[in-house]
Amino acid sequence: MSRVVECLALASVVLAVAGPADAQQANETRESTTIGGYGEVHYTNPRGPNTPAEVNLRRFVVYLAHTFNDRVTFRSELEIEDAKVEPPGAGGEVALEQAFLDYRFSDRFTLRTGLVLIPVGIINETHEPPTFNSVDRPAFDHDVIPTTWREIGVGILGRLPVADGWNYRLYLVNGLRADGFSDAEGIREGRQEGREASFANPSLTGRIEWARPAGGLRVGGSFWYGGTTGGDTLLGRGSVDAPIAVLSADARYQRGPLALRAVVATVSVADADTINALYGSAVGSRIAGGYLEGAYEFVSHLSAFVRHERYDTQADVPAGTTRDRGFARRVTTLGLTFKPTWNTAFKGDYTVLRTAAGTGQGETLRLGVGYQF
Amino acid sequence: MMQGAPSAKVAAAVRRIFGPGAEASPLTVAADTVLRVARGDSLLGFAAVRNVIGKDQPITFLVAVDPADRLKDVDVLVYREPYGGEVVYEAWRRQFRGKSIADSLRVGREIRVISGATISVHAVTLGVKRALADLTHWHQTGAIR
Repeated sequence: MSRVVECLALASVVLAVAGPADAQQANETRESTTIGGYGEVHYTNPRGPNTPAEVNLRRFVVYLAHTFNDRVTFRSELEIEDAKVEPPGAGGEVALEQAFLDYRFSDRFTLRTGLVLIPVGIINETHEPPTFNSVDRPAFDHDVIPTTWREIGVGILGRLPVADGWNYRLYLVNGLRADGFSDAEGIREGRQEGREASFANPSLTGRIEWARPAGGLRVGGSFWYGGTTGGDTLLGRGSVDAPIAVLSADARYQRGPLALRAVVATVSVADADTINALYGSAVGSRIAGGYLEGAYEFVSHLSAFVRHERYDTQADVPAGTTRDRGFARRVTTLGLTFKPTWNTAFKGDYTVLRTAAGTGQGETLRLGVGYQF
Repeated sequence: MMQGAPSAKVAAAVRRIFGPGAEASPLTVAADTVLRVARGDSLLGFAAVRNVIGKDQPITFLVAVDPADRLKDVDVLVYREPYGGEVVYEAWRRQFRGKSIADSLRVGREIRVISGATISVHAVTLGVKRALADLTHWHQTGAIR
């Protein structure tokens, strides 16, 4: 992160050793503002006739944080997707990805309020382009875990006192809306993303993770539970009516040149039959899948990776809904990532999409650059 | 923005690293402050307390070297970020012990990556390298003794 206001450590050392009277002063934080950002540009070329390539400034994000004192910090990400927004509504998006105030009581306990990232999976919380392989985010992190998933709420996070390496986050946020659910993208368009969101279904989401204190391994488990009526009384009057439950587990392992990742998730849509009847949709009653990825840095700064995703947005369907095996997807991505610095990346990959029905298949070449600072 | 660590924390870190009875006294060199650590008349080494920026918060750490300019230990005195706090653990920090400016300290090679704490790992590693280089330079040129 670049600093608007530079930190000066040297003077504080004098205070730090001068005695207890000055110690408090030394530990006091003066207000400061931090600016940073990330972005990515993509070249996408689907294989086949009449599918010309496209270039797109996929994301441009400004990170802005302000520290008010030792305990209170504001953090935000303002994003422009697809370079520009031009009325009437032809593509592009300007959105806040996160905007919250943290009140830090201790290492074990921080109170967080505002528009927060849902702590499910790997990519949703850590999505800066140099942090993952492949030009695009994994398809699983679009159709099963709907990244970038953010909602408004209040929560707590910190270190768990059980042993070194344990962390938790627990948030109460606004719920999803079932009227946005779909056969192909599951719960994705049920997100409210902080815009005049219905609070008819306060939902609970959380994560527990363990990082090996010596480094190299991080594993986590996440959940989401809550109603999805969005205030539509035809779907229910209770705050947890038409509930969905998300359970997910993930792991990241790194040793020398080898890096491995794995994520699985299952989404249960309890009243999918009612939702489908009411909104004319074909939402699966269960959406599930996961992926495995291995990468190897065979030359300094240059890694080759392969990822295999399997997921189905209609893993189960309710009575009255016809299952389309075209939603049972297998995505294999092979590619290269060149990172001249840890926070910049040049990427290239080839993706093969296959479905159980043999419909909607395709192969795509992608090239891209990404940065964060 | 001026941030440090409570003096008790610095003193405790010095005693943990150099043993009981180790006393630190500040020296000023090149507009920076170095702690000279001694027990009685015998010099045990030097230490520097510094900050590096993580994602948006300063990470206050202490780097200690022995009189032969080898890194004795690193201590993270104050960690303020909500994530990436694994850099405080001894199991990760101990990788720096015994290193000198002749050794390379590259993240992903000599220094293990902590997935999900990338920014903090890079920030602390760079901060330690700079502090080690400064302390070694000042000691070898006689600016601190």
